[in-house]
Amino acid sequence: MTPSILVGTRKGLFVLRGDEGRRKWTVEEPLLPGWEVFHAVHHDGTLYAAANNFVYGATVQRSSDGGKTWERSEALGLPEETGLTLEKTWHVEPGHGDTLWLGAAPGALFRSADRGESWEPVMSLIQHETRERWNPGAGGMCTHSIQVHPTDPNTIYAGISAAGVFRSEDDGATWAPKNKGTAADFNEEDRFPEVGQCVHKVLLHPEQEGRLWQQNHCGVYRTDDKGENWERLEDNGLPSSFGFPIAINHLKPDMAFVIPEDSVRGSEGEVGGGDRVTTGGRLGVYRTDDGGRSWELASNGLPEQAWVEVLREGMASDRRDPVGIYFGTKSGAVYVSPDEGEEWIEAARHLPAVLSVEVAEW
Amino acid sequence: MVTVLLPGLLADQAGGRKELQVDAATVRGALEALPVRDLLFDERDELRPLLNVYVDREDIRSGDGIETALSGDETIRVVAAIAGG
Repeated sequence: MTPSILVGTRKGLFVLRGDEGRRKWTVEEPLLPGWEVFHAVHHDGTLYAAANNFVYGATVQRSSDGGKTWERSEALGLPEETGLTLEKTWHVEPGHGDTLWLGAAPGALFRSADRGESWEPVMSLIQHETRERWNPGAGGMCTHSIQVHPTDPNTIYAGISAAGVFRSEDDGATWAPKNKGTAADFNEEDRFPEVGQCVHKVLLHPEQEGRLWQQNHCGVYRTDDKGENWERLEDNGLPSSFGFPIAINHLKPDMAFVIPEDSVRGSEGEVGGGDRVTTGGRLGVYRTDDGGRSWELASNGLPEQAWVEVLREGMASDRRDPVGIYFGTKSGAVYVSPDEGEEWIEAARHLPAVLSVEVAEW
Repeated sequence: MVTVLLPGLLADQAGGRKELQVDAATVRGALEALPVRDLLFDERDELRPLLNVYVDREDIRSGDGIETALSGDETIRVVAAIAGG
């Protein structure tokens, strides 16, 4: 088993192979040339890629031979009754058994019961009663975060921008908005609506029951009760409330990592997003080890002067000890910390714009 | 038989075949017979908007569009829009 990084880019999927120490990385020739790979994951011996092309549309590509050959999901689309057509595929998330989940735009979720051979739209979410109050973010109305409870297949979370977080406890049959406490500072009429929050990334902690982390357009949040209540975690070391990705530590539930952009203080009512580049021209990874009560700069080895963007799918963590943290930039660099952010190593540079980073071992 | 010529990415998705022979009475029939039909048409069976299709070098938009009739010995060329970056 070799540590690998799946790097989805505007120009195909790159695989980076590492040594056991996760300090030396080599870049292999790109897979899926011609496709924008919004996200890729390796699961149970198969590679899955949410692949898009501006002429030929959106699909999921899968490979069971490490990327040598690929099969395309051909019958992927939204039913006529929705009045919607598929725009982009965003995120493939493995579920339990042969189940896979696919997040897509506009505000769509699909489910496969046969390891990605066929996909069924999840109408309970696509036609949710609150949908008329959803709005697209700058990247479209994307379903980008799908988190499945590690032992309870009935519990699933979905994050849609800008609709908010939804939770199902009946295997996707019904969904309830779970946005209490998350702000929509851009909504002057109602800063805390039931839905309409611009969630950027949501992660479920696999070990601590009920804990999720969220980077939102309007702040960083944590919940300890399955999304019933979210606590805003800023003015405590973070230089900005705005950012896109978030990463967690599966061994330490109180540890999380964010990469702030812009320079806004949500506590003062400022709304971020006007300057989507690392805060202060510094590539700053911020780490908390106390559940978000305080954050510290953890950027040893990263360039101090850098105006870069890291997208919502552009950060990941592995399941090793110590936990490795990974992220890629829109300017084509990939950085790895093999030790929970203590130091960073440049694993690749001069790649196309990085859309997603995921960790794999095979 | 009608000959269909595919651009690079479509040929790659068709198993490396740049040229395919199909039996069809219309352009739609010819394109729907291809192993990349889902990349040419959306889920409403609409030809994707950034595709250009030529029958013997004539843009189908100047004829009957996707329903343009074929006699059986034409060459259809599919060309992706020149756009993007």
